[in-house]
Amino acid sequence: MASVISVENLQKSYGSVVAVEDVSFSVEAGEIFGILGPNGAGKTTTVECLQGLREANGGTLRVFDLDPQTQTDTLRRRIGSQLQDSALPGRMKVEEALRLFAAFAHNPVDPDELIARWRLEAQRDQAFDSLSGGQRQRLFIALAFVNAPELVFLDELTQGLDPQARRATWELIREIREQGTTVVLVTHFMDEAEYLCDRLAVVDGGRVIALDSPQGLINSLELPVVVRFSTEAEDLSWLEELEVVDQLSRREAAVEIQGTGPVLALVAAELVAHGIVPADLRADRPTVEDAFLALTGQTIRG
Amino acid sequence: MRGYRAMTIAEIKLFLREPFSIVFVLVFPLMMMMLLSAVFGNDQEEAQAVENGILVWRGVTPVNYYTAASVAVIIAALGLMTLPINLAGYREQGILKRLRASSVPAWVVFSAQLTVALLTFIAGTIIMGIVAWLVYDAMLPEDPLGVIVAVLVGTATFGALGMLLATVIGSSRAAQGIGLLLFFSMWLICGSAPPRAVLPSGLRDFSELLPLTHLVHAIQDPWYGFGWSWSGLAVLTAFAIAAAIPALWFFKWD
Ligand SMILES: Nc1ncnc2c1ncn2[C@@H]1O[C@H](COP(=O)(O)OP(=O)(O)OP(=O)(O)O)[C@@H](O)[C@H]1O
Ligand SMILES: [Mg+2]
Repeated sequence: MASVISVENLQKSYGSVVAVEDVSFSVEAGEIFGILGPNGAGKTTTVECLQGLREANGGTLRVFDLDPQTQTDTLRRRIGSQLQDSALPGRMKVEEALRLFAAFAHNPVDPDELIARWRLEAQRDQAFDSLSGGQRQRLFIALAFVNAPELVFLDELTQGLDPQARRATWELIREIREQGTTVVLVTHFMDEAEYLCDRLAVVDGGRVIALDSPQGLINSLELPVVVRFSTEAEDLSWLEELEVVDQLSRREAAVEIQGTGPVLALVAAELVAHGIVPADLRADRPTVEDAFLALTGQTIRG
Repeated sequence: MRGYRAMTIAEIKLFLREPFSIVFVLVFPLMMMMLLSAVFGNDQEEAQAVENGILVWRGVTPVNYYTAASVAVIIAALGLMTLPINLAGYREQGILKRLRASSVPAWVVFSAQLTVALLTFIAGTIIMGIVAWLVYDAMLPEDPLGVIVAVLVGTATFGALGMLLATVIGSSRAAQGIGLLLFFSMWLICGSAPPRAVLPSGLRDFSELLPLTHLVHAIQDPWYGFGWSWSGLAVLTAFAIAAAIPALWFFKWD
């Protein structure tokens, strides 16, 4: 089956500022595809070009085999959008907004259902101006689903949401995917990317610098695993002889081992063989955040 | 059509929640009409006054002159100020972008605004007519159909000019400044404030090029039973087309 999205060599500049230099990827049906990258990397520009909201300067874009630049109207019926920067008229009420947008949908979802799903009951008659940041965000997410889209673009899905709302939103996004919707998710939250995304594109300086599943990204970088435990045993040199162990350090009873590969299993086996069974043995596996920082460098850039 | 209806209803609700945003557009013409009528009066002798070889009040009393002219002023204020300020504000805040991403066509955004403007205008005109009629014993339109046609053509013209301004001007602050400037300069020289007869001839000739002059005539002529101002209507239509095409063509959503 053809990809839902295919981007080849997307290029976009604003005057002399090159926002996207060369971005290529494809998204398959039913996937949750993440786009990760530092501020100004070109994430929003990329997804807005795909939605036909900005005009690309170069490259080939196909979404549902449509050209977002020229077949915009047909495309928009099938996609949902949550934009990073947008607003509604200040005095417009939540329910009114959902009903207004539903009037432009070919296959509208009942606004009451959206209000319930995105927990906006209490805000139903509240004006947009008076909503809190998180409430606005939930309204924008609800608006993205008002036309029962086959593909949805979520640009910074959980910005401004409290931890409960974030969790709840993640579950709803998974549920929506189960129902067959393809999701493109731009995010700064590594836990979000790791939890939700099937595949991730890391964008930096207008280019895709890595593209893999979250686990694949971590594995490909061979980032160190850290194993920690405590023991009173004096001599642990036999642990350093294990091939997976790169480095062992200890402060009194606390031992920290850095290594790559299946460090925990091999260290544990060796400890047991020497009659040491620490109760606090654990491993800190590298996260997407570690991979992200390793890929993009740790400095803040423009 | 479903979309247009929904958008228009939404805009009407928004307007009713913040009616003061538009008070100026309604109150200013009414105030000026009352002020100018009080100054120049409703004296039949004035009707035949001549200056620079031109009938100053077009052969009617000053009160009648200003009542009809002020209807044109409301239309100009809506088109040159309310529309571009609203639309530029929508763009600046990202509202237009949000609408566009949800398949709302540009014509729906425009026509909903225009509809609200027209409703405001009708309310304003009725108030104006009643005040003029009750307080100053002004004449009501001799040829109401002719007035309605002129009003519709004028709304299309100034609506299109407003959309063009919104397209050309980036920010709502700039729209406010430029709209105000255009409105007042037209108001001053197009026969809606001092009669054109008293203007220096150069200014009078220049005002011939401005749409408000033609709208004032197009509304006054049927109002006083002078027949329809075909030339005025033709010029207004030309302005409408010349403004609407680039406005829709170059319209920016963000
Ligand atoms: N309308 C615009 N005009 C000029 N420059 C722009 C415009 N939009 C974006 N840029 C520039 O293009 C670059 C990429 O911007 P973009 O919004 O795509 O980044 P992003 O990856 O979404 O960043 P963030 O994480 O901060 O949202 C930035 O350097 C930005 O300053
Ligand atoms: Mg962004």
